[in-house]
Amino acid sequence: MLLWVIYDISDDKIRSKVSKTCLNYGLYRVQKSVFLGDVNSNALDELKIILEDTINLDIDSIYVFPMSKDELNKAGLIGQAFDKELVSDEIVSKFF
Amino acid sequence: MKSSQNSFNNFEGFNENEYYITPSEMLEFLYCKRYTYFMNYLGISQHEEKRYKVLKGRTIHEKKELENANYLRKKINVVDKKINVSMVSKNYGIKGIADEVLTLSNGTMASLDYKFAEYNDIIYKTYKMQTIMYSLMIAETFNAEVTQGYILYCRGKNVLKEIEVNIKEINKLNKYLEEFKKVMSGHYPKSASNKLKCIDCCYKNICVK
Repeated sequence: MLLWVIYDISDDKIRSKVSKTCLNYGLYRVQKSVFLGDVNSNALDELKIILEDTINLDIDSIYVFPMSKDELNKAGLIGQAFDKELVSDEIVSKFF
Repeated sequence: MKSSQNSFNNFEGFNENEYYITPSEMLEFLYCKRYTYFMNYLGISQHEEKRYKVLKGRTIHEKKELENANYLRKKINVVDKKINVSMVSKNYGIKGIADEVLTLSNGTMASLDYKFAEYNDIIYKTYKMQTIMYSLMIAETFNAEVTQGYILYCRGKNVLKEIEVNIKEINKLNKYLEEFKKVMSGHYPKSASNKLKCIDCCYKNICVK
């Protein structure tokens, strides 16, 4: 499934940890605090636990949205769009 | 492979060179029999210590051990409990460490196992068989009657579930123990029928379907 991770974190160190975790789980950076990528259900579960343990639950917030590829194609993009094919691993799968 | 077996050496007749099946190994075996082949027979480590959920589960176990040391679950009529109990069953060739061994008000004993998981309306076969294994070990170690075991799902709402220990389940376990031994003697088993299990498997690169 495709997964959006969107966060609002005030502390630089924590924010950096969260972004590194997202990248480690194969997500692509769509915007500064927006990540998107293809993950399996166990990775999603694990990622949620790590993020919960990383942030300050009283002041920080992270939205984690699973989405299907069909829904991503229906999504509206205004301005500079990211590479949808790259995010949904379609380009990668053409090579391998 | 689980390394430390020292705590089991106090058991009479325990032979450390003999292979004893642990509840954790049975859990992996029931998830996919190939797991046992790769991990226990071929000795290829799954490096579970690198998985965050495994580490978190271990931390929670340690925390529960300290936090709930004197807490007796009154709802299920517990009158006494032992924590982290090493047990061996010579009859079944199994050994393991139960999170808690409870003494109930009716004189029977029961195991309680903490699971870092959410309860999703179904108790999996893997958990059931683990509980049966603990029950058999309790019965043999403490010479007590065991009619049920408990599982506590730590994630979510700390749901406590009861598992009945009956002859039907024990027979099932016996069958699985035989299959386990067969795999340990070199039999290459079929992979799990549900291919969804393979998606996140650490052996998927070497497992021939």
